[in-house]
Amino acid sequence: MSETVETPHPLEQLPGDLMMWVLIVSELLVFGAGLAAFLAVRIGDPAGFAAAQDHLHRAAAGLNTVVLVTSGLLAALAVRAREADKRLRTRCLLAGASVLGLVFLVIKGMEYADKAAAGIGVETHPFFTFYYLLTGFHAAHVLAGVIILGLVGWKDSPRSVEVGAAFWHMVDLVWVLLFPVIYLLR
Amino acid sequence: MLRNPLLRAWGLLIGLCLASTLVALAVERTSFAGLAATGAGATILLLAWLKARIILSEYLGLAAAPFWRRGFEIVLALYALLLLGLYTIPVL
Repeated sequence: MSETVETPHPLEQLPGDLMMWVLIVSELLVFGAGLAAFLAVRIGDPAGFAAAQDHLHRAAAGLNTVVLVTSGLLAALAVRAREADKRLRTRCLLAGASVLGLVFLVIKGMEYADKAAAGIGVETHPFFTFYYLLTGFHAAHVLAGVIILGLVGWKDSPRSVEVGAAFWHMVDLVWVLLFPVIYLLR
Repeated sequence: MLRNPLLRAWGLLIGLCLASTLVALAVERTSFAGLAATGAGATILLLAWLKARIILSEYLGLAAAPFWRRGFEIVLALYALLLLGLYTIPVL
């Protein structure tokens, strides 16, 4: 007698909430289009973009990458902890992820203050128009993510924690693409 | 070796972040120009693609959903190629 093993439908394989994935894909499309537009505009003035980029603090942005990636780890560990019904550990991990999100925003705020003090604004150069637009929009997502992590830490059902962490990983994912394109590519 | 896949992913991400920053600093501090600078840029984009793959696979859990992981990886690879193309146009 042969046994048939049913493979789940692809939609059932998708981890977490389908609507969260719709949000993740739509956010990736928005940021993806922004980064592609940035490189397309750079074609007309690569030297000007390189000179403008020299005003950025690459090491601080690199540190922020470490902060965000570590925050993502804590959020992912929180999902595992909630699945294991370790609620206190879940909340501590989510709090840690939120604090690192705030550290990211503080470093970003210092970066903006530094630019403002140097008289660099949105209209200084097209590079900075994209810089403020893309990093500012991303920072708004980080702030939203910190609030969401706080909410799912409070209402900590396994599904809420998984969805909140997925949003946070999307923020993480956008940054690992945005950071090299804006800060590192010469 | 780290047994927890999440910790392993984190370690890889940190390593890749450091590598891309070091490549960029090397370009800044030396007189890399032309093809050498473009090669460094392509390396930075390759490292970004690897980082994005790790986040999708391990942090977002697509490692457990091979169908979706393949789909995301194909789209991500095509997008990385688009960025690489736009980046290299000025030196052609």
